[in-house]
Amino acid sequence: IRRCSCFPKDVTVFDKDNKSEPIRVLVTGAAGQIAYSLLYSIGNGSVFGKDQPIILVLLDITPMMGVLDGVLMELQDCALPLLTDVIATDKEEVAFKDLDVAILVGSMPRREGMERKDLLKANVKIFKSQGAALDKYAKKSVKVIVVGNPANTNCLTASKSAPSIPKENFSCLTRLDHNRAKAQIALKLGVTANDVKNVIIWGNHSSTQYPDVNHAKVKLQGKEVGVYEALKDDSWLKGEFVTTVQQRGAAVIKARKLSSAMSAAKAICDHVRDIWFGTPEGEFVSMGVISDGNSYGVPDDLLYSFPVVIKNKTWKFVEGLPINDFSREKMDLTAKELTEEKETAFEFLSSA
Amino acid sequence: MLFCLMNELNETTAHQWIYKSEPIRVLVTGAAGQIAYSLLYSIGNGSVFGKDQPIILVLLDITPMMGVLDGVLMELQDCALPLLTDVIATDKEEVAFKDLDVAILVGSMPRREGMERKDLLKANVKIFKSQGAALDKYAKKSVKVIVVGNPANTNCLTASKSAPSIPKENFSCLTRLDHNRAKAQIALKLGVTANDVKNVIIWGNHSSTQYPDVNHAKVKLQGKEVGVYEALKDDSWLKGEFVTTVQQRGAAVIKARKLSSAMSAAKAICDHVRDIWFGTPEGEFVSMGVISDGNSYGVPDDLLYSFPVVIKNKTWKFVEGLPINDFSREKMDLTAKELTEEKETAFEFLSSA
Repeated sequence: IRRCSCFPKDVTVFDKDNKSEPIRVLVTGAAGQIAYSLLYSIGNGSVFGKDQPIILVLLDITPMMGVLDGVLMELQDCALPLLTDVIATDKEEVAFKDLDVAILVGSMPRREGMERKDLLKANVKIFKSQGAALDKYAKKSVKVIVVGNPANTNCLTASKSAPSIPKENFSCLTRLDHNRAKAQIALKLGVTANDVKNVIIWGNHSSTQYPDVNHAKVKLQGKEVGVYEALKDDSWLKGEFVTTVQQRGAAVIKARKLSSAMSAAKAICDHVRDIWFGTPEGEFVSMGVISDGNSYGVPDDLLYSFPVVIKNKTWKFVEGLPINDFSREKMDLTAKELTEEKETAFEFLSSA
Repeated sequence: MLFCLMNELNETTAHQWIYKSEPIRVLVTGAAGQIAYSLLYSIGNGSVFGKDQPIILVLLDITPMMGVLDGVLMELQDCALPLLTDVIATDKEEVAFKDLDVAILVGSMPRREGMERKDLLKANVKIFKSQGAALDKYAKKSVKVIVVGNPANTNCLTASKSAPSIPKENFSCLTRLDHNRAKAQIALKLGVTANDVKNVIIWGNHSSTQYPDVNHAKVKLQGKEVGVYEALKDDSWLKGEFVTTVQQRGAAVIKARKLSSAMSAAKAICDHVRDIWFGTPEGEFVSMGVISDGNSYGVPDDLLYSFPVVIKNKTWKFVEGLPINDFSREKMDLTAKELTEEKETAFEFLSSA
């Protein structure tokens, strides 16, 4: 363990004006790109609030401990008053202990020549182990957010491996796709992305995701209008809009030569903040969650992205949205992919 | 290549917003690079210029980086930042420097293996002479210029000399990172948070001759404010290891990360710019590289040297009258000497650049 404590003496912590006990927040893949864009926003209070002190736990693989040390130095140099302590480790029993929040960014990346099967197998191993560690060491109330791809299947694997933690505590990130969908609509209509709400990302965080704006609204000249109505371009909304959002990640990688860490970090902050503080009245967001009990014809026991509202740190499906034929087909396609992914992954689950 | 993305607003839509202010034009150079990547989001989300200040963000980099810059633009769109009225990516100075309110000059020529210090200075004089001239020609006369790209002090002086119609006082260079690092080291040693430490000073050059001085620094211990030397009772550490740790922190981070300290640099830039914009808190001063003219600390005039300053109404003033002991005097003179030499070497190239 490398421990670089801002407050080594317990007594100093409680001299602070902060009213709350610190929460323990883990970020895995902590030496990587996405974490580098994320950690500062966690530490400066913009996720859990300006009064919430944080014990930040950083986990990565042993070869990355030197790099992680550098990240630790930088966090110290950022002088963030809410960071009660920062702990860097390569040990699961340290990383997962007493957690309130676990943001699982680290996963096995796809290498050239790697088959999808191999990728799933490698990641099942990681997330089975981390799920078991959550089960063993974390608080039962822990909120687990999976970012590392394949996010949906990794999330389901972790959940299955942590049977004593409620399935509802597990979610995966589709907020980046959700934010990208908002941005595309906003660009097309010449408004700011925050004037667009209630887009939906259905399904898998992959190229079969279905960005659906049938229920989205946009603020135009002070009035709220349905997006389909405002745009009057159904073929764009069913065609280019969908593919642009689906392929945005690849477009950013092609341009930057690196993945979209900045916008991913922003989406993670949005996702976690909404879990913590709830969604605004009249608005819903997209999250990959366990499909059990959904009323949209998606098979149970999948980790599938749905529109949800959140209150008291608890999410609920948005119910009763009409689904047209076009949407039905797309939603089924992505469910099919997730079912296949799950079956492939779970071949390995027992042997992992 | 010019990209004008984001909102294609007509005038009416813009004025329907509740924002009370006109947008300010903020340039970041080296915009496709590491430090900018850690910085742009913080600028865009209101944490530098305030939650009510809309921004036209201008991103400049060299032509080969336009593809990468396009990717950065896409990400800024995907971040859905309501304060970003417009984001403009360009490789042209006449576009980048037009009507600027703020210029954050992050881009510079990095040191390559085998490069002599002379070569580095020569390459950077060329860049900052051109950018200074562009500021002079295109930017508002009220523009605030913050130089980050190294060698920051000399690059800043070069730009200022090349922009004679812009007040010298509008130019500053970043020593806030060193300042924050000094606070962090004191805090770690005393077991407090870095924000309980104030009034550290970084004197001189943003280089290994910088002098981190805590003779006038204060720390909050059990609710009371105490001098740092008094609180620590370890003069030899404060004059020895503390100084070298802060001086070499940048190298230590690079050694560990294999990349430079973008996250903490971006945070320091935000602090520096925010303090220019909103002023320094009562009773506190910060460190900034500024023109040394008129200082009362025996530093030669016409150097771009880091001093303790207070800021009000977007205008900085030297903190006057701090007693300087012999140890400090020697260190302050050493870094002034290095800056003088750097300036002389750089200015050999200024006329030919």
